[in-house]
Amino acid sequence: MSDSSHSPAAGHAAEESKFAAYVQIAMLLAVITGVEIAVIGLPFAKWLLVSVLVVLSAVKFMFVIFYFMHLRWDKVFCTILFFIGLILAGGTMWALLQLFSTENSVPLSVAVNTLADLSRLG
Amino acid sequence: MTSQAATGAIDHHHDHTTSTGIPNKKLLMWAFLASDCMFFGTLISTHLIYRLHPPAGNPVPRQIFDIPLTSFSTFILLMSSLMMALAVNAIQKGNLKSMRFSLLTTILFGAIFLGCQVFEFNNFVFEHHMTITNSILGTTFFTLTGTHGTHVAIGVLWLGLMYVRSYKSATGEGLWLTTALHVVALVAAVLLSMKLVLSVVWGLQAHGFSGATLAGVASAQWLVIVGALIAYSALRWFARPAGPVQFDQSNAVDVESMGLYWHFVDIVWIVIFTAVYLLEYL
Amino acid sequence: MDATVKSHFIGKEDKAPAKPSFVLWRPSAKTGLMSWLTTVDHKKIGFLYGSFALFFFLVGGVEALLIRLQLMHPNNTLLTAQQYNTLFTMHGTTMIFLAVMPLGAAFFNFIMPLQIGARDVAFPRLNAFSLWTFVAGAIILNIGWFLPDGAPDAGWFGYAPLTSKLYNPTHATDFWILGLQLLGVASIAAALNFIVTIINLRAPGMTMMRLPVFTWMTLITSFLIILSFPAITIALVEVMFDRQFGTNFFEVSNGGMPILWQHLFWIFGHPEVYILILPAMGIVSEILPTFSRKPLFGYPIVVFSGASIGFLGFTVWSHHMFTTGMGTVATKAFALATMAIAVPTGVKIFNWIGTLWGGHLKMRTPMMFALGFIWMFMIGGFSGVMHSAAPADAQQQDSYFVVAHFHYVLIGGSIFALLGGIHYWFPLMFGRRVSEFWGKLSFWVIFTGFNITFFPMHFLGLNGMPRRTFTYDGNMGWSTANFIATIGALILGVGIAIYFSVVIYTYFKGEKAGEDTWDGRTLEWSIPSPVPEYNFAVIPTVHARDAFWYEKHHQDEIAKEKAEHHQAEASHGGIHMPFQSIYPLVASIGILIAAIGITAFDSNSAPGIHWKLGLALTGGTIMFLGIYLWALEGAEGYHLHLDDDGHDASSQPKH
Repeated sequence: MSDSSHSPAAGHAAEESKFAAYVQIAMLLAVITGVEIAVIGLPFAKWLLVSVLVVLSAVKFMFVIFYFMHLRWDKVFCTILFFIGLILAGGTMWALLQLFSTENSVPLSVAVNTLADLSRLG
Repeated sequence: MTSQAATGAIDHHHDHTTSTGIPNKKLLMWAFLASDCMFFGTLISTHLIYRLHPPAGNPVPRQIFDIPLTSFSTFILLMSSLMMALAVNAIQKGNLKSMRFSLLTTILFGAIFLGCQVFEFNNFVFEHHMTITNSILGTTFFTLTGTHGTHVAIGVLWLGLMYVRSYKSATGEGLWLTTALHVVALVAAVLLSMKLVLSVVWGLQAHGFSGATLAGVASAQWLVIVGALIAYSALRWFARPAGPVQFDQSNAVDVESMGLYWHFVDIVWIVIFTAVYLLEYL
Repeated sequence: MDATVKSHFIGKEDKAPAKPSFVLWRPSAKTGLMSWLTTVDHKKIGFLYGSFALFFFLVGGVEALLIRLQLMHPNNTLLTAQQYNTLFTMHGTTMIFLAVMPLGAAFFNFIMPLQIGARDVAFPRLNAFSLWTFVAGAIILNIGWFLPDGAPDAGWFGYAPLTSKLYNPTHATDFWILGLQLLGVASIAAALNFIVTIINLRAPGMTMMRLPVFTWMTLITSFLIILSFPAITIALVEVMFDRQFGTNFFEVSNGGMPILWQHLFWIFGHPEVYILILPAMGIVSEILPTFSRKPLFGYPIVVFSGASIGFLGFTVWSHHMFTTGMGTVATKAFALATMAIAVPTGVKIFNWIGTLWGGHLKMRTPMMFALGFIWMFMIGGFSGVMHSAAPADAQQQDSYFVVAHFHYVLIGGSIFALLGGIHYWFPLMFGRRVSEFWGKLSFWVIFTGFNITFFPMHFLGLNGMPRRTFTYDGNMGWSTANFIATIGALILGVGIAIYFSVVIYTYFKGEKAGEDTWDGRTLEWSIPSPVPEYNFAVIPTVHARDAFWYEKHHQDEIAKEKAEHHQAEASHGGIHMPFQSIYPLVASIGILIAAIGITAFDSNSAPGIHWKLGLALTGGTIMFLGIYLWALEGAEGYHLHLDDDGHDASSQPKH
């Protein structure tokens, strides 16, 4: 992430090893995907599993943007630029989900159904 | 305007003609991707919000989703990202042949992903009777994954055009006609192959694995097979060793910007895979 | 001819020359219609943006006058309820998307590259595409006036389910949806271009903290555009799918939630109001120091305030929805964020006052508009802070108090600054200066008319008069204030008429202005007027924040520097100019055709030509071909060589 972009000559060895690095990262991403699929079958608390899934997806996300998309080797400004969008989008998603999770946001039709279910149970 | 070529080798992470050293095209693409984050953020939000309060009679996602298939297409898309990264790496070193091979594999993986999506949508609509209109789940699911699929399709088209562009002759013989036919051949090859593979899969699903099934599909789809063979031969012919081309390291930034778009489509799928599919199984 | 060597855009001069390329047709007209249709020059594009914007400003103004005439008397029958709905919808949509935003874009285009010492924007053809797609969007939005379906009538906010097929069966709403969608595409493309230009095309020495404030506000506005428009893009896609394909996004009977539209709309809509006001703040921050003969007071604070306004703008959207019942936590959070956003705005006001303080004020026309801006925008700001208190807002929601508030920030704010900006940069753009007498007269008439129109609306709103109702009863106690407001609107109309007559007169016959009429501070004043196609004969080197004031005080140093740069550039092939191109226009025409097909026709038409699908596919193909040919012709250009006096030594380049 440092913006000390190495000169082509000095970085030649690094360029050569990029191929191997890319392949290894792709394998890692595939493994993480496998772990994610395995995780959903585990008998743990839902919040824990959700957190694990979110963390694993975030790790995949970061590997792709920092390695495949070269952010690691590019000027730091590219990272800032993208993260402005990413953070705003994430924040907006979070706020929207919070807004719609509150009791006040339950649609009337759903609320009526729930009430009907409750009364039937009662 | 100083010339980057004048300094000898091209430094792919620094462009001396700009104030920041970032090439204009790359900066444009990163700014666009920042914007696209909001685009998909809003769309995924819509899906998740409607998931919170499902109305009575809404389909249950885990009874419909096919995790093995989706896992396969996720894997395919990750591999396509790898090939895209290798294509950029290749052209930055001026290795045209390797770049073309990587681009073609990226196109192949992209087409497989799209084929999986066609299969999945077809399955949901005809087997599970979930359409874009008959439930809120269908509405948000098809719109979200369909929009992502459209991004993939645009990416495949872009990759194909870049692949064809890499054959632009340095002498300028028959530029227009060759290019147009090359594009047509590539698009036809991709579409006809997808059609053929899907027909085989559906045939096998319906009648079980046997020689008769395959023969049945082959006889029903003979036109597609002939078309695909012609398209492949044409592609092979266009890829014959010919004179020098106008495509080298200085075009790396074009390939890289396209790659950024492709990887972004991949990371959006990483999010969709978790938020839309896996979440339903908890 | 011999002076214009064909070469590639960047860094390919040492390669073999005259490569064969995919160019079908290279337009080279420098005058006439073709030169405008194929232009990639940011100044011409800016001028076109401005012309279209002013035209639609007048259209929106006429719509406003009709609204005011209808409300002049109780139970007036000048307009029907339906016509009234159409007029307030189109007045809002036109003023926001077709007048104020493109007028801002006109200044971004024309002024920003000059302020940073650039010869054009980073992607000249993309810039042309933005312009023509904006025109296509404007056509789609207004096409309903000429068709039996009529113009859009569901309000500029298009609240679901009012936009559903059930309540709006005609194509009017489709025009609104796709018109806005196209305007969004145009705005995002333009904004991406401006971001890259400002980040990457600054002249040597032009650090970010030396950027003129107008350029800073262009940058922040562009970021707001690329980050807020995707939200409305999605929202419009959803409502379009509901109407075209029968999906359930806002269909309550199938689990849809119309409230989601409000959220998505205001996630876009609130940053949008800062998209309208930040360019105005930038213009005022240019005018005030110039006519106060002082540098801007607290430059870094003005910049950071602008950036914090931009960021906070994304955190306050739900204050438009306090009365929808979001729950106490959300209401409190959005109320607090809204109060917080008043802080950086207030900081800016104090910085402008600090700039005026102790300055040698020159009361020219642009200065009058800028001072009017500060005062009027403050009034709009005060009523805005009142809205942030949710309980008070519940009383003011959907009343004329809100109408008064946003007209104070949009007319008293944005429009005043934009009109001032036209006066300020007119000598640079056209080499003529608007007469001080007529300029000031138009300002005072506009100022008076504006306040007579909108100040009474505060009282009307607090007395309970609701927005968007086409008439009212005589016994409500609203008659006098409405009558006064209408008289004010007519005065405002006269003021605008004077303003435009004077500007048009000046364009043709006005007093010739010398170079650097106002003794300007920023780089755009260092170049002759009208601005040559290549902007800067020599790319300047920037040594200070008020770059041109520095140049005027260090003439020997600058002259030496320029001679060196001129020589260096000449040895690199001269001034690089991009070729003109028709393809951006072709792509936009394709989009327009497809949009007409999608909006104006029904899908299940009688047997025969399927117009909807046919036009959509035709337009899509034309768009694809336009974009592909645009990509294939490449970002090539030619070189200009200037003689020592800075004149073009070559004849007009031809190919």
